Amino acid sequence: MRLLEHESKEILGRYNILIPEGDVVESGEELKIDGPVMLKAQIPLGGRGKSGGVIEVSSSGEAKEKIEQLLSTPIRGYGAKKILVEEKIDIAREFFMAVTYDTVAKDPLVIFSQEGGVDIEELSASQPEKVQKELFTVRARLPQYRAREIVSEAGISGRILLGLGAILSSLADIFLDYDATLVEINPLALTGDGKLIALDCHIEMDDDALYRHKDQAKKLALDNRYEGGRKSTDFERKAAEIDSLDHRGVAGRMIEFDGFMGLIIGGGGASLTAFDAVKQHGGKPANYCEIGGNPSVLKVKELTKHILTKKGVEKIAIIMNVVSNTRVDLVARGIVKGVLEAGRAPSETVAVFRVPGAWEDEGFKILSKYGVPYCDRSVSIDEAAKMAVERAKP
Amino acid sequence: MSEFIKVAIDQSKCLGIEACGGCLRVCPVNIFDKKNDEPVIIKENEDECTLCDLCMQACGPNAVIIHKLYENQ
Ligand code: SF4
Ligand code: SF4
Repeated sequence: MRLLEHESKEILGRYNILIPEGDVVESGEELKIDGPVMLKAQIPLGGRGKSGGVIEVSSSGEAKEKIEQLLSTPIRGYGAKKILVEEKIDIAREFFMAVTYDTVAKDPLVIFSQEGGVDIEELSASQPEKVQKELFTVRARLPQYRAREIVSEAGISGRILLGLGAILSSLADIFLDYDATLVEINPLALTGDGKLIALDCHIEMDDDALYRHKDQAKKLALDNRYEGGRKSTDFERKAAEIDSLDHRGVAGRMIEFDGFMGLIIGGGGASLTAFDAVKQHGGKPANYCEIGGNPSVLKVKELTKHILTKKGVEKIAIIMNVVSNTRVDLVARGIVKGVLEAGRAPSETVAVFRVPGAWEDEGFKILSKYGVPYCDRSVSIDEAAKMAVERAKP
Repeated sequence: MSEFIKVAIDQSKCLGIEACGGCLRVCPVNIFDKKNDEPVIIKENEDECTLCDLCMQACGPNAVIIHKLYENQ
């Protein structure tokens, strides 16, 4: 989940990182600040400055007019519903700082540069000496003394080193406390009177951790954040709730479609293959839905029931690649129980169950008992999809 | 409530939670709870049983038995 700038800055404020004085408005009428201000369209995109999403104005009259302009002009497919109005900052110098994951080292990575307002990838490539990168661990976090060393290694000295170190250390705390995948301040301004102020901030939170951050997650359902992009449907949100019932595996990464064939398919490439195969054979999927990593019986059951509540869904196909870390029998239990609790007959409702792999013998015993059509690995994903479509024909 | 698995405890053989409590400690999916000194089954979790047998191995007096209801025993 990508937070908007004003949402990200609210979090910075909680960690005592200075942000410009400002207000979020939904129309020019709500404007309270006078004098020269920056107007910033609140959309989930980078590079807003270059695409006209950030405007500097000198008076409140001009600000009102430009706010209306920003609200009515979509930028790269997104329409702002809120404008962040901020005091104009007297900038003496700019820095860049970010925390993200290094997926190769499997540790959080802090990045600092003595040049801000830049494209950090470009700068990293052209002048790598200007970009300081350092891994830290989740357990040790990034204490201030370590943060100061990083800033100092980037060539910064003097009083400002203390301030930058403190902010960098807090940024690492935000990254860990909010289960973020990215926290970035670009630029961080040093003002003429020696203050460090975050001019822009970008926070991305890990969707799989949103259940721990309900206050942030509920923003996804708000209608007045921004327009454009694709918003989750109620059906998809309910599936995400099911996925967050417990920590075990994934069962509920759902995208809703307008067909009638319910799908529960293995994650990764196999799910796309299965989905395409169903369509190829003339099936009309009601949804795309990944499972994997050994979800609990409870989650698979609830997911099955949920898919069967969708209007027009009579059949459900369960197709996964050969699985090693997901138990076939536990998936079978969840599917059968979900169908039963939905008040339907498993033998009629399951179009095909093609999940070969760990504990399949046990799984097949369950499926046989309930008369569910199943197949093993000798039947390909494509053939299983074809069987499902055939069986779903009225 | 369970459809596939029934976990039974023979309380006459069980040593009690205080003296043993093995089943409660080892079950990875929270199927056991305690009531006074007796292990009891959390019915709504029974179908989560992974058939790992840890509870049976932990139980010296063989008081725990797992039934697979889908096997027509
Ligand atoms: S077999 Fe394993 S999962 Fe099942 S009740 Fe015993 S310890 Fe728990
Ligand atoms: S492991 Fe056996 S003896 Fe020990 S508490 Fe559980 S049922 Fe009783």
